[in-house]
Amino acid sequence: MKSHSVFGIAMAVAMAVLVALAPAVSAHHSATMFEQTKTVTVEGVVKEFQYTNPHSWLLVDVKDQSGKVTTWGFEAEGPSTLQRAGIRPSEFPVGTKVTMTGKPMKDGTPAAVWVLAVRGDGKRFDPREGFRVK
Amino acid sequence: MRLIPIVGTAVLLAGTALLVNTLRAQDPGQTRQRMIDLGKQHKTAEELYLALKEQAHGGHRLTAGMVPDWSGVWTRARGGITYDPDQKPGAPPTAKLTPEYQAKLMKRIEDADKGIEWDPISTCSPPGHPRWLTEPFLRDFVVTPNQTYLINEMMNDIRRIYTDGRDHIPKEDRYPLYNGDSIGFWDGDKLVIHTNQLHGGIYQRRNPDFTDQAETVEIWQKVKPDLLDVDVWVYDPPALVEPWYTKQAYAKIDDQNKALRIRFWHCGENQNNAVVETEGGGTQFRDFTFDENKPNTTSPTPGVKP
Repeated sequence: MKSHSVFGIAMAVAMAVLVALAPAVSAHHSATMFEQTKTVTVEGVVKEFQYTNPHSWLLVDVKDQSGKVTTWGFEAEGPSTLQRAGIRPSEFPVGTKVTMTGKPMKDGTPAAVWVLAVRGDGKRFDPREGFRVK
Repeated sequence: MRLIPIVGTAVLLAGTALLVNTLRAQDPGQTRQRMIDLGKQHKTAEELYLALKEQAHGGHRLTAGMVPDWSGVWTRARGGITYDPDQKPGAPPTAKLTPEYQAKLMKRIEDADKGIEWDPISTCSPPGHPRWLTEPFLRDFVVTPNQTYLINEMMNDIRRIYTDGRDHIPKEDRYPLYNGDSIGFWDGDKLVIHTNQLHGGIYQRRNPDFTDQAETVEIWQKVKPDLLDVDVWVYDPPALVEPWYTKQAYAKIDDQNKALRIRFWHCGENQNNAVVETEGGGTQFRDFTFDENKPNTTSPTPGVKP
């Protein structure tokens, strides 16, 4: 039993490391156009969910204090990885209130790597969960 | 005098047989070193493949009743997008490279550290084998008596392993192929594969290049109901001073509600994913927009919380 427990802990640690090391956006292109150490958080409503390969884009309309709306794009992996993370198109219908955290683009374009989405009802969505080996 | 090479060959084959039959059950560190040594005992991938085939008495052909169950949806079990899953975090790749390819690798890593990186698959070309082994998405593996299909979701990328006894195509008719030409045989429940005719590429980002001369030997085995282990040796004289051994692994995904599907993968379906290589060798989006009326070339950042 003891060896099983140790093995279980080791596996859990290994899985956590694997998920932590899994690239936020790994398919297709390098992510060097995004900041790797900075994050931004914006609040808005879902404009569109482009559920596509090799990357998906969740588009979120963000309104500033003057009422001007800017559309932010949050890039994540393609559909199969998102499905494994529990991120399905039906989770983000148009108009859904959401707070997005991501690694922003270096050039100031309103786009980022999707790190975490927190829906208005509090449900959290982390695309990297799609790399977890269950 | 004629006995010397015969005895030498016999000793080599006996050594190969002994090693491969016993290595998997031993300490992982020792096993890895012995697999590395096994690769070094053979000058070419073809030599190693033929030694393994000799050890397996020529291997055997599957019949319908003998086909192993590799069904289900699989994914890479470890390694992220590093070619060698046993590469330590922050350490360089474990390959022993020739000076020219070592210098190329160091430049690639230095550039990436500065935010300069271009991946050749960015414009939708396939990863190619042996990089094929590393992509972190869905896979399925279809074993039939005469042919095994190793399928990677990304780019609908299929490797066909011919196990019906055919040989590679003649040398004079070979040309570079992204996944090469693969033949194999079964040794019990192990599928042994030799691949040549490869198209040069990179093993992964921040990893070395391989050349058109690369050849691989792989041993695939289902070691647990939810785990496939793969021993891989790459031989590539222009780039490697010795064969690069790695242990790859694929885990079966727990998909009890059968929700996962492997779909057709169209790399260019969304213009917001198109990128270009910059003059400095970096990567930038080509022309994306999230608003048809207001292309997002410049913009304030309302709503940003620092």
